[in-house]
Amino acid sequence: MFLQQLVNGLTIGVIYALIALGYTMVYGILKMVNFAHGDIFMFGSFLGLFFMKHLHMPLYLAFLLSAAATSAIGVVIERVAYRPLRTADRIVPLISALGVSTFLVSLAQKLWGTEMHPFPTAFGRGTVTVGSITFSEIQILILVLSFILMLGLHLFVTRTKTGTAMRATSMSLTNAALMGINTNHMISLAFAIGSALAACAGIMVGIYYNAVYPTMGYMAGINAFTAAVLGGIGSIPGAMLGGILLGVVENLGGAYISTQYQSVISFTILIIVLMIRPTGILGKKDINKV
Amino acid sequence: MKKTGSILASIALAASLLAGCSANGGKQDADGAIQIGLAAPISGTQAQYGEAFKNGAELAAKQVNDAGGIDGKKVKIVIQDDKGDPHEAVNVANKFVTDKDILAVVGHFNSSATLATAPIYNKNKIVEISPSSSAPAVTNAGEYTFRVITTDAFQAAYLADWSKELGYRKVALIYEQSDFGLGLLDVYKEAAPKNNIEIVAAESYNPGDKDFSTVLTKIKEKQPDAIFIGGFYNEAALIAQQAQKLGLKTDYIGVDSLYSEALLELGGDAVENMKLIGFFYPGGDNEEATKFAEAYQTAYNSKPDTYAAYAYVATSVVIEAIKHNGADREKIKEYLKTLHDYKGPTGVLSFDENGDVVTTPERLTIRNGAFELYQ
Amino acid sequence: MRSRAGRFAIVGLLILLPLLLQQIDDYILHIAIIIGIYAILSLSLNVIVGYAGQFALGHAAFYGIGAYTAALIMLHGSASFWLALAAAAAVTGLFGLLLGSPVIRLRGDYLGIVTLGFGEIVRLIFVNWVDVTRGPMGLPGIPAPSLFGHAFTEKIEFYYLILALVLLTYFIINRIVHSGIGLNLLTIREDETLAQSVGIRPNPYKLLAFSLGACFAGVAGAYWAAYISYVSPDSFRYLDSVNILAMVILGGTASLPGSILGAILLVLAPEILRYMNDYRMMLLGLAIILMMIFKPSGFWGEKHRKYNFYGLAQKGGRK
Repeated sequence: MFLQQLVNGLTIGVIYALIALGYTMVYGILKMVNFAHGDIFMFGSFLGLFFMKHLHMPLYLAFLLSAAATSAIGVVIERVAYRPLRTADRIVPLISALGVSTFLVSLAQKLWGTEMHPFPTAFGRGTVTVGSITFSEIQILILVLSFILMLGLHLFVTRTKTGTAMRATSMSLTNAALMGINTNHMISLAFAIGSALAACAGIMVGIYYNAVYPTMGYMAGINAFTAAVLGGIGSIPGAMLGGILLGVVENLGGAYISTQYQSVISFTILIIVLMIRPTGILGKKDINKV
Repeated sequence: MKKTGSILASIALAASLLAGCSANGGKQDADGAIQIGLAAPISGTQAQYGEAFKNGAELAAKQVNDAGGIDGKKVKIVIQDDKGDPHEAVNVANKFVTDKDILAVVGHFNSSATLATAPIYNKNKIVEISPSSSAPAVTNAGEYTFRVITTDAFQAAYLADWSKELGYRKVALIYEQSDFGLGLLDVYKEAAPKNNIEIVAAESYNPGDKDFSTVLTKIKEKQPDAIFIGGFYNEAALIAQQAQKLGLKTDYIGVDSLYSEALLELGGDAVENMKLIGFFYPGGDNEEATKFAEAYQTAYNSKPDTYAAYAYVATSVVIEAIKHNGADREKIKEYLKTLHDYKGPTGVLSFDENGDVVTTPERLTIRNGAFELYQ
Repeated sequence: MRSRAGRFAIVGLLILLPLLLQQIDDYILHIAIIIGIYAILSLSLNVIVGYAGQFALGHAAFYGIGAYTAALIMLHGSASFWLALAAAAAVTGLFGLLLGSPVIRLRGDYLGIVTLGFGEIVRLIFVNWVDVTRGPMGLPGIPAPSLFGHAFTEKIEFYYLILALVLLTYFIINRIVHSGIGLNLLTIREDETLAQSVGIRPNPYKLLAFSLGACFAGVAGAYWAAYISYVSPDSFRYLDSVNILAMVILGGTASLPGSILGAILLVLAPEILRYMNDYRMMLLGLAIILMMIFKPSGFWGEKHRKYNFYGLAQKGGRK
């Protein structure tokens, strides 16, 4: 049972990690928590569903198109709801994000109703048994694809010129601008990438649970945000580590302690970690300049 | 720029205020129609049930109106959104009781909302008739509080008997951590030893949970003959699907809240053979149920679920009361107290002295992706 | 508004208001009561967020602890409402202190997520600790308050009770934030290092803000329990915390009249939009975004004042 629970935990953990990356990239640059990110994830899932169900596209095309459309949504949200507030008090864009979140959820409810929608694909139903562990096809897809996406992001950020520019922007907005980097483009790019990753996570979750519904972003968002903070918000490897850790802890906690208190367990872990390392596991130390 | 912006914002706010007032004002002169309140979760996570409520109640009103109304007066359903939240439900209840045109209220959906609002309705002496609040505590909520659904206690005991007949020895329970799930759990657990059933696991989930893999992996170890699901159709479909993905093969048995087309749609082949009880089953012996399902199909081009049927029944008995006793809040209550053997789509029902309903369910199963009577 | 006479006029108006409102109906009186509850909640959160500058996302937890404490004391200890009110305030204040002491060193968003986590933990305890809280079934049958042997049954009585509680809360919080303590809190909010260098130790002050805020949220909770006569975990969700926070920001941080204004706006807006059913949450979301874009410092924020706290003329608004 332990190994099976570990696999279950890893599966949901990499999903958390993908969503957490969106939080962390935006935070890294703007120092703001994009509370609407969970709902962007939900929109990605719905768009994937829409492309498959109504336009009868194959799964891979649904992934691509949904990722593209969702990143456009992410960029527009930043442009409309956050950019005008960049110089305002830090708490202000947060409230604006809550407004965006309310808006997106009710828009989805209007467009697609509040009921759960099954994902119209037969893919992922089959199972592969290795020893005492049963993998479903979708679990394998989630683990493999998430790994590829995270590796891709890592390479992009560390090996390309644009990636370097993005890191520079996250170190200092002003200095990056002085170096001739168009920081607004970098911010848009962070939103685009984060939203695309969330869309992929959304489709995979949709298939995994066979359920897509307007409020699905709420718990996923909170968990992913927790994961990002756990790993050290602003740090890309931190978000990956935090996500996986949270998924595993949640599942093992549920298995051996209590399923009712699953979120209590993960929040307690978070609080303990923050007590010991106030900026998360891989977070940079907060230097207080005088 | 900034100034124009704030002016624009204030104008928008003022406009919506005015629109709100005029809309409220407009409601008053509804040409003397007979108004029945409907309190349901129109938005929020439970909005699909609210939608079912709305459709069921409006169908009942439409049928009466098409037949000429009550003494020539049209019946109008006034809908208020309680979001499934007790805070909101209390707002809605206060809005209803102060509107003298509202004769009775159909609602609420959640037992917690029904319980939170019961003191308000009872104090203002207006009937609140819930289509779906099955928590035992609703029994003592007050003499103006009725419901057309049986209590959880009744259903769970009935299912324990049936489990025995099906030859289940080891049963795992998955229940919603809510008044509803806990009510079922208690009664089923208590009835199990008498029926020679061993409860091998009892796992709960919080409303809104979608990941059952942890729970199911735990249950898989225990190899139960069946899993008893004390929850709603959404979760039942997810449980069956996720169990399939974990390679867990077992029977499922559950309560009437599983009865919905959505269960078949979401569950696919994973819910095949699932056993459940239903008070509303069109196509069986109950002609009213078949008639209702046909009318519903014509009106909304979809199949009704249990909650649409319950809302239809609740609205219909209120209409019945108004027909017999007149448009008076107090007299509606008097009539419901004496209602006996009312034939509706959810079976023949009577109210007992506590405003609870007395009726018997049908045994159902799923074959080839459709509900049918269990033989 | 600054003058004593102005204040008396407002209070007098509020006392007379229900006589007018009651002519209209009980529903409006009920909405006025709900505004009162949220006014206490946003005033108390403003102490934490606005004055101490601590980003807290779990205020509904304190509200819930207050409601449950009062409910349990009244149901099992058959204590009077007044005793339960005091006990709820004390217990939640203590919880504020308990939560505050380990997390006070965290900053900004880290504190945000921890308080959010605290809120979820508290709610899950309400849901799962069935023996005490009756879990999701909630606690029904909480007795109404009574004064000199007269039990409160009418809405108008509850209105005056909440009015008294709001005034009390306003008075106490106003006194505290306009004393040296408030000045120290603002200094800490603006620059912690600077505060330390002039001899203000941040932690005791932050803790004080936490327990003070929690304490008044407990008062609101106790009132809610007695008013509705039923408590259940559904009423104290994360979204309620967010809602209270939005009231504080919308009204303007570190502004007490602002908090009340925020409560009025965010209680009224969804009620007014009620006729829109399907669209009302969408419009509310849009309205919040617009208000933040055009009024980032809130409707009654510090910018609204001609002079800032230190008695100096304000700089011009931000670009």
